[in-house]
Amino acid sequence: MEGLFFNVNYGYVEGIVRGYKSALLSSNQYVNLTQCDNLEDLKLQLSSTDYGNFLASYSGILSTSIIQDNLSKKLYQQFQYLKSNSSGKLTKFLDYISYGYMIDNVSLMITGTLHERDRSEILSKCHPLGWFDTLPTLSIATDIESLYNTVLIDTPLAPFFKNCLTAEDLDDLNIEIIRNRLYKNYLESFVEFIEQEFTNPDQEIMLRLLNFEADKRVINISLNSLNNPDLTTENKLSLLPNYGKLYPTYHNELAQVDDFEQLKSIVENIGEYKDIFSDGDNGSGSGPKNLEDWFYLLEMQYCKNAFTQQFTLSTVWAWLRSKEQEIRNVTWIAECIAQNQKNRIDNYISVY
Amino acid sequence: MSGAGNREQVFPTRMTLGLMKGKLKGAQQGHSLLKRKSEALTQRFRDITQRIDDAKKKMGRVMQIAAFSLAEVQYATGDNIGYQVQESVQKARFQVKTKQENVSGVYLPTFESHINEEINDFKFTGLGRGGQQVQKAKTVYTRAVETLVELASLQTAFIILDEVIKVTNRRVNAIEHVIIPRTENTISYINSELDELDREEFYRLKKVQEKKQEAAAAAELEEKEAKEQRAAEALALSESQDTSKPHSEEQIQKEVEKLDLKAHEEGDADILQENEDDVIF
Amino acid sequence: MSSSTETMSKRSLIATIADEDSVTGLLLAGVGQVSNEPGKESNFLTVIPEKTTVEQIETAFDTFTSERDDIAILLINQHLADLIRYKVDNYTNAFPAILEIPSKDHPYDPSKDSILKKVRRLFGE
Repeated sequence: MEGLFFNVNYGYVEGIVRGYKSALLSSNQYVNLTQCDNLEDLKLQLSSTDYGNFLASYSGILSTSIIQDNLSKKLYQQFQYLKSNSSGKLTKFLDYISYGYMIDNVSLMITGTLHERDRSEILSKCHPLGWFDTLPTLSIATDIESLYNTVLIDTPLAPFFKNCLTAEDLDDLNIEIIRNRLYKNYLESFVEFIEQEFTNPDQEIMLRLLNFEADKRVINISLNSLNNPDLTTENKLSLLPNYGKLYPTYHNELAQVDDFEQLKSIVENIGEYKDIFSDGDNGSGSGPKNLEDWFYLLEMQYCKNAFTQQFTLSTVWAWLRSKEQEIRNVTWIAECIAQNQKNRIDNYISVY
Repeated sequence: MSGAGNREQVFPTRMTLGLMKGKLKGAQQGHSLLKRKSEALTQRFRDITQRIDDAKKKMGRVMQIAAFSLAEVQYATGDNIGYQVQESVQKARFQVKTKQENVSGVYLPTFESHINEEINDFKFTGLGRGGQQVQKAKTVYTRAVETLVELASLQTAFIILDEVIKVTNRRVNAIEHVIIPRTENTISYINSELDELDREEFYRLKKVQEKKQEAAAAAELEEKEAKEQRAAEALALSESQDTSKPHSEEQIQKEVEKLDLKAHEEGDADILQENEDDVIF
Repeated sequence: MSSSTETMSKRSLIATIADEDSVTGLLLAGVGQVSNEPGKESNFLTVIPEKTTVEQIETAFDTFTSERDDIAILLINQHLADLIRYKVDNYTNAFPAILEIPSKDHPYDPSKDSILKKVRRLFGE
């Protein structure tokens, strides 16, 4: 029943996304890419994929960063296209997706402004997906107070800012803490939005993905802040999104652990995450996996599953994440080729 | 005398001769010492050059591994952390200490890595994701910089040794080719001058002796004549005054002694005496 | 000798002139120092292709080598050293020591290194 009128509003976009999805690199194509001897070869291989002649206009010595930039450009174009063709709750959904990148951009601007850096220099480093029209105005602020006000008035991030951060925080707290607090608020409000607007099975899929995102952050933050005396338990708790499989049972424990083994035993209580700290290889012979690899792998599996349902908007999220992973994969392969580290080249993650 | 013009401007006396001899000895000793120093330094230098060559190659590898660890960070975080890192820098955690090592009297500075574990500007970098990779990259780069510091020590040693060896060799050559020949020339000059003086003196003494002998001969002749005259007179007086003869004999003796004393006064010092001895024996 | 010992012990920092990736890595290792003291604002220069001019690199090189007295070692990317090769080749002081390092995109080429060139010349290779 819920699928009945879906296509009226979102059919086109979903079709496009599914088209994009089928253009994602397959494992065969990855194998071909890993066989390349230099970046020129890689460019040639990529031209037979959906990327086409994305590097045709570039003449000069190829470097991995150039390849990465051009791959990303393609993604931005596709995302912008989706955005301009969206309507209703899809627009809002896409907005929510970009908020995540906006957080990065805004924290970048805050750091830059506090250190009085050149504006154009910072703007060039901002993530295109997190771009909004008033972003450049942030750098006009001269003192903390006005910067804080500008953030509240001029950015779509105001709801995430207003309850957790004060003007003094901008000055005192490490930018990473600000960023993670924002992200926590962002995730929570994203989940709220999904619960309100989305219907099953869309809601179910999206919540699973967001829960995973939250858990990923929780585990990462707890792990990376081990033995960090600057981060108190309360502070740590304030960074953990109140969602995910680890919430609420394990959050307090996670915020208090101070060694790796404890952390491991807590995380292993969740069935899905049982393996993430075991560094045995998964039989594919790509060497020991580290934490990020596990997360990426799990995420990709979730994303792949997201495509199995019809009439869902979560495909957009799944596609975006897969595409980002693809860019990381290609960059990784390019890096391995450029730096002659072929033994690690199979470390990419391919599920399609 | 080939280097006649190349000598020090000194008065050729016995004292300067002594000085010059001392100087020559010093120069020779200094020469051999410097030569040994230079050899020791050169040996060290060659050793260092070899190690620089190796270390530079090692650096190429180490830096590559380090760059790759950064690629891993990029893979894990998805975006470039360069800007964040640059903005969170405050105080140098990795510093170097400079120590000195003494190689044959040359102080070679060596750098030593000094890591202040209390400073950590990147506690929060990658907090949300990729923190493990950031830590790994940090470790790898720390090791890479340690290698670089080692290399820097070698390189500084190289530059300083290069300079010192040049200076030492210049000194060795200066002593060998300038100072020693010049001192030798001076010594032979002084010797020849002294010989010349000796010969002059000898000749002069000969001359004095000759004059003295002439004078003695003349005096003898005069005395003889006087004696003969007196003898004649005595013969004439012998009958009347027989006792006067021994008295006059004494008087003659006295006069001869007086003459001798005069001659002594003419010769100025002991040398003359010596030389006279030489001549006599 | 004693005065040079003093100036030497003051030198404790490692300065960097390099591209973004190298700077990031070296900063991660903890070589960076930022202060408010005039003339000593930061001890690293990030060179962005087509944005940073050769003059800027030269100025940074001069600052690190002659003006600042707290730099012990200067690390410079080899491809950047190539841009100011005449300066690097003419630099003969022992302090700060200049070290040419490879960058990610430019592997190390021993034949260009100023010091190794000197080594070669000395041994007549």
